[in-house]
Amino acid sequence: MTRATRASEIAISLSVYEVGSTTLFLLGGEAKQDAWLAMLLGAGAGLLLLLIYLLMYRLDSERDLFELCRHYLGSTFGWIAAFAFTAYFAYEASRNFRDIGELAVQTLLNRTPMPIIIFISIIIGSYVTYLGPRSAFRLSVVYAYIMAVGYALILVLLPMTGLLHAQFMFPVLEHGLTPVWRAAMPEIVSFPFGQTILFLVYFKYAQKGKHLGRLAIVSYLITAVFLTVMNQLVILVLGPEIAAIGTYPMFMVVQMMEVSNVIERADALFVLLLFMGIGMKANFFLIGAGIGLQRITGIRYKLWVIPLGITVFGLTYLSPTFTEYFRVGLKLTVDRLMPVTQVVIPGILFIAMLVRKKKRKPA
Amino acid sequence: MFIRRLKKFLYSYPNPELEQPQQARQAPSPEGKPLSEDLSDSLELLQKSMGKNTDFVIHYLAFDEESDYKVILCYIDGLVDQLLLSKLLENLNRLKLDNLLRADKAPADWLKNQLAIGNIRTIYTEEDLEHAILDGRAVVLVQGMREAFAVYIAGGSRRAVEEPSSQTVIRGPKEGFTEEITVNIALLRRKVKSPQLTIETHVIGTYTRTNVSIAYIEGIASPEVVKEMTTRIQSIEIDGILESGYIEELIQDGVMSPFPTMYNTERPDTVAGGLLEGLVAVFVDGTPFVLMAPVTFFRFLTSSEDYYQRFDISSFLRFVRIISFFVALLLPSIFISLTTFHQELLPMPLLISLAAQREITPLPTLVEALLMELTFEVIREAGVRMPRAIGPAISIVGALVLGQAAVQAGLVSAAVVIVVSFTAISNFALPAINFSSSIRLLRFALMVFSGSFGLVGVLGVLIPLMAHLVSLESFGVPYLIPMSPFNKTNQKDVLIRAPWWKMRTRPIMIGDQNQMRQTKDKKSYAELEAGRPRDPLA
Repeated sequence: MTRATRASEIAISLSVYEVGSTTLFLLGGEAKQDAWLAMLLGAGAGLLLLLIYLLMYRLDSERDLFELCRHYLGSTFGWIAAFAFTAYFAYEASRNFRDIGELAVQTLLNRTPMPIIIFISIIIGSYVTYLGPRSAFRLSVVYAYIMAVGYALILVLLPMTGLLHAQFMFPVLEHGLTPVWRAAMPEIVSFPFGQTILFLVYFKYAQKGKHLGRLAIVSYLITAVFLTVMNQLVILVLGPEIAAIGTYPMFMVVQMMEVSNVIERADALFVLLLFMGIGMKANFFLIGAGIGLQRITGIRYKLWVIPLGITVFGLTYLSPTFTEYFRVGLKLTVDRLMPVTQVVIPGILFIAMLVRKKKRKPA
Repeated sequence: MFIRRLKKFLYSYPNPELEQPQQARQAPSPEGKPLSEDLSDSLELLQKSMGKNTDFVIHYLAFDEESDYKVILCYIDGLVDQLLLSKLLENLNRLKLDNLLRADKAPADWLKNQLAIGNIRTIYTEEDLEHAILDGRAVVLVQGMREAFAVYIAGGSRRAVEEPSSQTVIRGPKEGFTEEITVNIALLRRKVKSPQLTIETHVIGTYTRTNVSIAYIEGIASPEVVKEMTTRIQSIEIDGILESGYIEELIQDGVMSPFPTMYNTERPDTVAGGLLEGLVAVFVDGTPFVLMAPVTFFRFLTSSEDYYQRFDISSFLRFVRIISFFVALLLPSIFISLTTFHQELLPMPLLISLAAQREITPLPTLVEALLMELTFEVIREAGVRMPRAIGPAISIVGALVLGQAAVQAGLVSAAVVIVVSFTAISNFALPAINFSSSIRLLRFALMVFSGSFGLVGVLGVLIPLMAHLVSLESFGVPYLIPMSPFNKTNQKDVLIRAPWWKMRTRPIMIGDQNQMRQTKDKKSYAELEAGRPRDPLA
């Protein structure tokens, strides 16, 4: 007796997914105090990508990303592309789980071995994966309430505790547009805004005939503005220099909050909020990879949950140290890998779809 | 061969359409061996099957040795009402059956009307004959007739309608269901006097032959749910049903879930309210607890009194219950993780006071809290099972010895005792017992995890729990509706209870069949009053 997923659930999921781990890092640090401009620029470019993805969904709303690949790119290339996406999603999931592990060890549980934390979080993620995408959408609606309350509290308390320094905002565009552009392209576009590619897998679960596109764009825009504000808050509190140095700058900011002897340090609660966001993002990637495996092999989804979990657990150890992990994440993944999976392959796919559509029309 | 099987296993998608369509409900038609015209055959049958039982009684009426015309009356002593029985015998004698039957074969219908006591059923088969007697009917058998007459004069001792003990209210009706299904259905009918209120009865249990009735309001309840309920109940093959808990466990969704997906209540007004919202109720003979489905998470946080009190007070009480839900679930685990892992979250004076208490206690906080929780569970269980007379002793032992003395002796810290007691009290603030029991169970899991991973551990239990809750459904209705998936119109009766003049529609997905509770164009006085601009000078 399962019912169709409502379009609004997917839009909310998109928002939760976008927020995910983004608040953990400072984005556009290169642009210094103009990070917000870089963010908006990145968000604009990301919106363009999202529009293309939505257009692809509009062209063929019956198929998900993997089916599109196999249908429009021919069997060999389609298989390769679908496999590339699956591997990419699994890798992203593993990075998110590693983030959870690193964050936990560095902040809350410094005496617990990281593999244990990662293992437990992968078990939880596998459980959500086992329940399937529809449950994940509903789960992220529940998360949305909690995250909304949590971030709203931070947004209200930060100015109240007098930590904001408006002078860190200025001067605007001190070195011209170049650093802003450099910070935004391709880094901010790749992470987090271009990652909406994953939702090409999920759009098809939406109830037909609803304004999925409009809802998705609205929720994307709200999320983008929210992320920009959060990002800029970090700079306004810490100043561009310190913000750029800190590993988890937002964490430092929340540590400084203190509310009249009731809450001494809210950082532990903020970390929980982050865990939920990252966990949800990892879940979505895991489910995406699981669906990909089913589409590639034809073996049903639920049987893939355990092998997928084990693979992802192994993938979290690709980088032996935190420094290397961080470098790989910021440089290789964001600069090299993501543009391929977010722009190049979808672009080819999009063109192929247009060509096929054109061909069919005269006939 | 093996590979083919493996492939078949791997590629077999679950296909719901392949499942056999359940047969439509059969019309009650006479099945089995028909009764013999010869009374001596029936007598022999009864003697063979039930003659051993000392409580089985046969009256021989108009028993003429010389002729063939005979009438017998049989019943089980204790199941029938003595007064009604004597009246029945009187009626039979008055009819002078002997004469009548000798004159001509009296038509069955005529005789049936002449008996004129209560509910009379005509019986055609041997199985029915036995069942009718066991159901507490007195059966009249006449020589030369293919039919027998089962007169429903059930009686014997049974409990009267009393105030329900499990769900009490201050304002609202005080009557509760009893063990008798006919009384229970009558209690419901007295509240919902509509021909649309439909009762369908099934007999479940090869030995107990328990009456299980499905009640719903036609035109409000979703026909799919009714159909689903019927098929699920008909699928039960069991030797006996002694309580509605049997049915609940056999037909509910989410079989491995700690959360109940069916509601149970002792209160006729709760059932009536549920039926008006589009729920389907299941009455089971022999128990005052009636089941209802489909049900959502938030129904377990409501009490029928919410609808009798003023809406603002009810809304506040809902808020209190939601708080107590979270306290009952989370307080001990949050206490453990704050004191053992995240001391920095606590304000300094509080931390110092807690640390001073901990100085003399020998055990880690987790063990301390687990011990106290277990102690409380034992006290609670003892309180339920023990003979009433020992009650005061338990409360003295529980409150004084285990609470105060344990703190004074330095075994546990006072803070843990406070936390455990507040948790326990919060648990009782929840109106549904089965729901609060499942929270008790989850609390222990949360405590163990918080003791090993702190707040991360708490989150590590809460996330799968939330994932489980969103995936749970009760008869096709998502468990967390209207929170996830979100629904605006249902919000009026979840966290708050909107005033009655605002509750125009039934809850979505449960009462979709017939949305409006109040007509749209006609406004009640209160609503007009609320919308009227006031002129303070007038």
